[in-house]
Amino acid sequence: MDLIVRLGIREERVRVRRVDGGFEVALGDRTYHVDAGAARGGLHSLRIDGAQHEVAVHRADEDVYWVSTGQHSAAVEVVDPLTHLASQTRGGKGGKRRQRVNAYMPGRVVALLAEEGQEVAAGQGIVVLEAMKMENEIGAEHNGRIGKIFVQPGQAVEMGNPLFELE
Amino acid sequence: MATVPRKPIRKVLIANRGEIAVRILRALREMGIRGAVIYSEPDRLGLPVLLADEAYPIGPAPSRESYLRGEAIVQLAREIGADAIHPGYGFLSERAEFARLCRDAGITFIGPSPEAIDAMGSKIESRRLMIAAGVPVVPGGQDPLPDLDAATAAAEAIGYPVMLKASAGGGGKGMRRVPSAAELPGAYRAARSEAGASFGDDSVYVEKFIENPRHIEIQVMGDLHGRVVSLGERECSLQRRHQKVVEEAPSPVVTPELRRRMGEAAVRAAAAAGYSNAGTCEFLLARDGSFYFLEMNTRLQVEHPVTELVTGVDLVQTQIRVAEGEPLGPELDDVEPRGHAVEVRLYAEDPYQRFAPSPGRIRILRWPDGPGVRVDSGIYEGSEVSIHYDPMLAKLIVWAADRERALERLGRALSELRIEGIRTTVPLFQALLADADFRAGNLDIGMLDRKLGAGELRPSTDGAPDDLPLIAAALAYYERANQTAAGSPSANASRRSRWGAAGRHGAMRGGSWT
Repeated sequence: MDLIVRLGIREERVRVRRVDGGFEVALGDRTYHVDAGAARGGLHSLRIDGAQHEVAVHRADEDVYWVSTGQHSAAVEVVDPLTHLASQTRGGKGGKRRQRVNAYMPGRVVALLAEEGQEVAAGQGIVVLEAMKMENEIGAEHNGRIGKIFVQPGQAVEMGNPLFELE
Repeated sequence: MATVPRKPIRKVLIANRGEIAVRILRALREMGIRGAVIYSEPDRLGLPVLLADEAYPIGPAPSRESYLRGEAIVQLAREIGADAIHPGYGFLSERAEFARLCRDAGITFIGPSPEAIDAMGSKIESRRLMIAAGVPVVPGGQDPLPDLDAATAAAEAIGYPVMLKASAGGGGKGMRRVPSAAELPGAYRAARSEAGASFGDDSVYVEKFIENPRHIEIQVMGDLHGRVVSLGERECSLQRRHQKVVEEAPSPVVTPELRRRMGEAAVRAAAAAGYSNAGTCEFLLARDGSFYFLEMNTRLQVEHPVTELVTGVDLVQTQIRVAEGEPLGPELDDVEPRGHAVEVRLYAEDPYQRFAPSPGRIRILRWPDGPGVRVDSGIYEGSEVSIHYDPMLAKLIVWAADRERALERLGRALSELRIEGIRTTVPLFQALLADADFRAGNLDIGMLDRKLGAGELRPSTDGAPDDLPLIAAALAYYERANQTAAGSPSANASRRSRWGAAGRHGAMRGGSWT
């Protein structure tokens, strides 16, 4: 199975194949032999060439997986190439890379500071989220243009829910 | 001395929530005393309720309508036949009027007398009391300085460097550090005009400036027979915006001789206020070894476990025995710390998103275990971290023979800990363990804010390949797609074969990536 995976502004093609004793995962020019086991709900043991990694994986949204190693965690978007192609054609921006920015905490959307199609600079606030009586700005990681905005003021969001696209 | 009648305690109502309610319940169960808790609506299924002998609703989520309803709580204690109330920390624990309500209702308040709480609760009153008792306080005075001559005289009397502070002040406004007499005239004028502009009151006073002090506090315990003992110090210099983050005992710099002198000062301070039960005297420790009384906390502290681990004294059980009227035993004389204990406070905050709070459901929780590890927690797997209360989830405390080994043990324990579903301050502790100043014990109360402000203490690498999250997510997607494609009849077969070897060995128990 061929897939496209995205983490932040990083995007890679991945091929997953079931092989004897686990999986073969080809990622860019690297190939990993992975033996995977689910220890308990959501917590997995991945043996990659003998090294053991305990990884928590949670499906946060349609194609978004929240992956955590305990010290580090990230939202990883996974799409199949057909969907990827379709979305690029729809957007009419073939070849342009888009990043989906997800909520890193549950909360309530207080305000939107930008609109779809607007050019934004790195660090510029896009969505204001409120949780535990504190307001937090979710900003653009890099210069770009705002694609789709998935939320509106007043809406409650869960951790990992998509907030907006940055192209 | 008048004899104090013994008032046996058979049932205690805990006027608190979270980890401290659990901590108190544990002490009660070990002592064979019935434990009752109160809970607000969102806390109905909290860990304290699940572990309690009795549990009673006290109101809706907001604290002032639940955990702060002093009269209702005392009334409840009477109705359920509780002999005593333990206030924990925060909420009603340092409110003299609550202690008074308890006393008037014939309920034992497990803590000091309302008079002692009052005396220590006022900054001016406690400072006056400490000076009278010969306890060192930060030299200087709250008296406004009418002109430059008065400022010069006051600064000369204290000795440079000094700090000019606005009488109406706060937040650094109207504050000026003055290294020597030459800088005083300019600093005095600037401080007054800034104070006037900021607070509409331009009066300033002068205080000794203590450069990069440590926060060292002494645990004291007093009985109802007039005896007060010191149980040694805790080093609490690692603070973020005046909130303690890491605490340890003993302090890496306190010698037995300094411990004795600080302990004696703390005992004098407590005795001056007629203090009984558990309390903590907070001091600033200067680089030259001089120390100054800051304030006394008239309650059990969050960080009490580090003292328990190095002294072997159960502070909560001692609080209860003292409240019953039992005298402190001779084993509490000259207690010396054994080994080293470190505590980290686990907050539901993201240290790398400006400490944004992170409420939510705890999807996965695995506490560390093994030699020298203690966890005081108020959460469990599946429980909700509410947006209504303090974001502290739990405390992880380790003990080892010395500081270096305790820090290694802390690193090991943090690597075993798994909390998923919310963000926590765990990565900050891992980064701290890699910090040379922290490892060397070079601590002061501004250190953590300085390092965070300078962008230090970034998450350390965990040795995992950069591709790991991508691999994990791709496998999760693959698995889910195959499950869906397999349809319902064969889905079971696919489920069984999932994850190859692990599935065959039956290690999987309904585990799913989705």
